Amino acid sequence: MNVLSVKGLTKSYPNFLLDDVSFHLPQGKIMGLIGKNGAGKSTTLKSILNLVNPDGGSIQIFGKEFRENEESCKQDIGVVLGGIDFYNHKRLRDITAVTRRFYKNWDDKAYQSYMDAFSLNPHKRVKELSTGMKVKYMLALALSHKAKLLILDEPTSGLDPVSRDDILELFKHLVKEEGISILFSTHITSDLEKCADYISYIKDGKLIRSAEKSAFIKSFHHLKKPGERELTLEDIMVRTERSGFNVKSNL
Amino acid sequence: MLNLIYKELRLAAHPNLFIFTLLGALVLVPAYPYGMVFIFGCLGPYITFMYGRETNDIYYTSLMPVKKRDTVKAKCLLVILSQMTQLIISLPFAFLRLRILAEGNPAGIEANIAYYGFGFLIYGIFNLILLTEFFKTGYKVGKAFIMAIIPASIGVLIMEVMVHFPAFKWLDSVEPALMLKQLPILVVGIIFYILSMLVAYRVASNSFQKVDL
Repeated sequence: MNVLSVKGLTKSYPNFLLDDVSFHLPQGKIMGLIGKNGAGKSTTLKSILNLVNPDGGSIQIFGKEFRENEESCKQDIGVVLGGIDFYNHKRLRDITAVTRRFYKNWDDKAYQSYMDAFSLNPHKRVKELSTGMKVKYMLALALSHKAKLLILDEPTSGLDPVSRDDILELFKHLVKEEGISILFSTHITSDLEKCADYISYIKDGKLIRSAEKSAFIKSFHHLKKPGERELTLEDIMVRTERSGFNVKSNL
Repeated sequence: MLNLIYKELRLAAHPNLFIFTLLGALVLVPAYPYGMVFIFGCLGPYITFMYGRETNDIYYTSLMPVKKRDTVKAKCLLVILSQMTQLIISLPFAFLRLRILAEGNPAGIEANIAYYGFGFLIYGIFNLILLTEFFKTGYKVGKAFIMAIIPASIGVLIMEVMVHFPAFKWLDSVEPALMLKQLPILVVGIIFYILSMLVAYRVASNSFQKVDL
């Protein structure tokens, strides 16, 4: 069963077009959304969540049309938007006290265990947290209401390698033990080598390919250099993006 | 709905909103243009909207399990709550001044029934413009405030100046018979306030649906 189905998602801005993006995320899988800065990753995620008003396309979450079932769908979704801080001057306990009231399945025990695991002090103010700690706090909130789908925009950017690895391990655990599905955008492709099952690649607002990871890598074999064994996601991205770039012509 | 109000009061509201709400008590000042109470009632939401922009309040609300238009509803509820609380807070002071300051208010209108009627009208005009204009973008609060406060201030000015003309002296009275004559202003004010909030919510939430955060 697909937890998330995006069909024909289109959004036009004066200088940018997100063009007919479609992909599906099966239940209990991790999908990485890759692309360089400005490719349309965040616009895609925001359009899925109705933060951005798309011009066309449909979003189905848990088999339901998201737009028509926004409240009930969001009960089962956890969202982390990298780079956006809420209520910088408020203490974490105040934000939690408000957030927990909105969710039917809020689990105080789970919240406490994530706060402990992430070494988060509820008496601290948001502005006192590092970028990584902010992401961890947002993750703790997202995971404490038993979300079945996590939508994460650049969750690992700004984290140190140890925290990043911890979080990727946590993702793998959540998928394996609790059947959660995760869609996350990143430009740190090595994170996806470690944990993603599916890859969707967006370039200049267009979805180039969305496939299971090994099939995805295979489909880019034409980019391999002679004698090279296996392409990494970074190789694929770098070589695809560079192909339309003629440096010499500018010299 | 209660969750939205709780969120507004605990996270979104700027401390100034609470202070300005308490300023309903200003009607006890012996000589003071009481229209200022309404100006404070307009400034409170403005500062809170600005504070909300700095704290990414709208993003937070939009990510909660609510409809996108509930973000607008939360703000409408907060504005209504603060302005109505302010007027309720002012009431005992308005009664108290009848006993201890019976000679009236030489600076402008008395805190009488007409005053409250004008208050509803002024708040209705301000809220309608502020909310509909602000939610066209979700961030241009300065422009929305200027557009809203100018007509609201003109309303205050008319109210304060009018009572100095002999023909409108009855509007400045706290005599029971004359206050009865003022009652239609209060009724019209309340009806206008309710209608303007309903229209403001409808128009603002429709615009906000199209806003890209």
